[in-house]
Amino acid sequence: MNLQRAWRVAARDFRLGPRSPIFVYAILLPVILSFLISAVFGGLLDPDPRLGIVDEGASALTAAAEEFEGIAVSVLDDVDDLRNKVTAHDFDAGLVLAADFDQRVQGGGEAELEFYVSGSSLASNRIVLAMAANELVSDVAGEEPPVTVSVVPVGDEDFVPIGDRLLPIVIFYAVVIAALFLPASSLLDEREKHTLDAILVTPTRIGEVLIGKGLLGVIMGVSLGLVSLALNQALANRPFEVMLFLLVGSLMMAELGLILGSLVKDANSLYTSIKGAGVFIALPVIFIIWPTLPQWIPKLTPTYYFLQPVYDIAITGLTIGDFWLELIVACGICVVLAPVVFRIGRRAEIRLAWAS
Amino acid sequence: MAATVPAIDVSDISYSYGDTLAVDSVSFEVAAGEIFGLLGPNGAGKSTTVKMLTGQLRPSQGSIHILGMDSSVENTEIQARIGVCFEEKNLYSAMTGVENLKFFASLFGIKPLDPMPLLERVDLAARGGDKVSDYSKGMRQRLMMARALVNQPDVLFLDEPTDGLDPVSARTIQGIIREEAAGGTAVLLTTHDMYEADTLADRVAFINQGQILAMDAPESLKLQHGQRSVRIKARRADGQVEELAIPLDGVDAAAKVQRAMAELDLVTIHTEEATLEDVFVAYAGRGLDA
Repeated sequence: MNLQRAWRVAARDFRLGPRSPIFVYAILLPVILSFLISAVFGGLLDPDPRLGIVDEGASALTAAAEEFEGIAVSVLDDVDDLRNKVTAHDFDAGLVLAADFDQRVQGGGEAELEFYVSGSSLASNRIVLAMAANELVSDVAGEEPPVTVSVVPVGDEDFVPIGDRLLPIVIFYAVVIAALFLPASSLLDEREKHTLDAILVTPTRIGEVLIGKGLLGVIMGVSLGLVSLALNQALANRPFEVMLFLLVGSLMMAELGLILGSLVKDANSLYTSIKGAGVFIALPVIFIIWPTLPQWIPKLTPTYYFLQPVYDIAITGLTIGDFWLELIVACGICVVLAPVVFRIGRRAEIRLAWAS
Repeated sequence: MAATVPAIDVSDISYSYGDTLAVDSVSFEVAAGEIFGLLGPNGAGKSTTVKMLTGQLRPSQGSIHILGMDSSVENTEIQARIGVCFEEKNLYSAMTGVENLKFFASLFGIKPLDPMPLLERVDLAARGGDKVSDYSKGMRQRLMMARALVNQPDVLFLDEPTDGLDPVSARTIQGIIREEAAGGTAVLLTTHDMYEADTLADRVAFINQGQILAMDAPESLKLQHGQRSVRIKARRADGQVEELAIPLDGVDAAAKVQRAMAELDLVTIHTEEATLEDVFVAYAGRGLDA
């Protein structure tokens, strides 16, 4: 097995990418979906996250917050007024600073900080504001703050904004189209046009071709998944954990794509297969959008084991520690699929020699 | 490689597609610098034989040695030293001629490749930057030939390399085949064009229904199995034109020709030699296009 040759196969696909309609479609689809969701439900083009502050003393934190780039700060006089405005989603979050907040923090004592968050605000805005608040408190304290932060959700606690709930659709299209469809269509194209015959009479082995096509899918799947999350401002929370699940998910999809690309007869069969399997592999997305549906059902699909963790880590603030089992199952699926890919690929090679 | 080792040494190979025996105990050798033609009609077993030689299929029995290497254990090493020109125009049509050559060179570990000498050789230097989708059939075939030469192979496998080409493209490719053989490359040519085989090949093998029927130099085969004759068209007294053939291999052939020329009102007179097609029909009982 020569990985250099595998990379050359992948590099050719990358170079030719801009000339391939499917490649361009795979790149543009998640971007267009992100813009559509942002335009309709808010997000990408929204103003900066809005923070309301009730300052019962004259905290240096308020002044620092007003200078802080990337957030819009409004100072209010009344805590109830602040709470109502956060509930009404006039602010994404609200902060209440006690009169002696600065003295307590600077004196090393215990200080309490009430942080209201709106269930209707985008997760990305909540994350930005929480991080900004933490940084501002650190500035005031001059060190790691001895502050107890009480996060008080207001409004509908379980409510997740529709813009956030639609995010899995974007991730699904980014990963599935790029990681599954690109390798499948590229391999099928080489079979149909018999360019694969020409490759296989050079020292290049079928396994190297499969790895090359798989690399194309994994790199594109991870990249487009990250770009989609970034476009939807959902990458700030634990990006490396998100990337790990995107990587495993893209590998799984690329393996399925290679199996499809080796088995299907022609492009029509490929489209039909993906459409037919579409509902099955998209199940986790449907169950994220409608969380009241029984949540054990999407666990029957392989895509659950990366889509759900990516969503929950990026949006709801869970961590990789909550998804060890999902990670193990996803890796297990990848390991089981690997020999199947190579066996079916070898059979495709023989069928190709018989057919030409 | 020792001088005595054949470039291609095929011993008793067979291959079946399911229950259909496509190649049945075929054996032959090709020396370095030799052009060897494998001739037969469609479905005779030519392509299957070549696929076994190029490593695309594994023979169900027998052995193949290329440049002294056993194909069952050193297939990758063999493929590094062979060039293959397919009948199917399997180029990347979205890529330019230069990109096609550079990509295949990279698969052989040749990097960077200067594609211009190859493109000049196949008269495509001026079009190397154009996409293959804009090439004519002849240009594509010439690029296929250039691609087969990208690794300076010691053995060339050419499957119907001039099939359906315009005379200029066909002559270009035939010229390259001769140059390569003159440089010591063994060339295995599969074709059903007997004229091409006759003019290009040092030796030919007739293959039909998976078996080699005969193998020799084209001239020898024609001499052994063909008939030479003089074909005469002459006008009779009633104005009708009649045609007669005088075999040249008979003992009194010269006398017969002399008498015809003296006594008949000649319209045309031609010598006629057996073709490889005639010889093939004599062996196989069928023509190449049957």
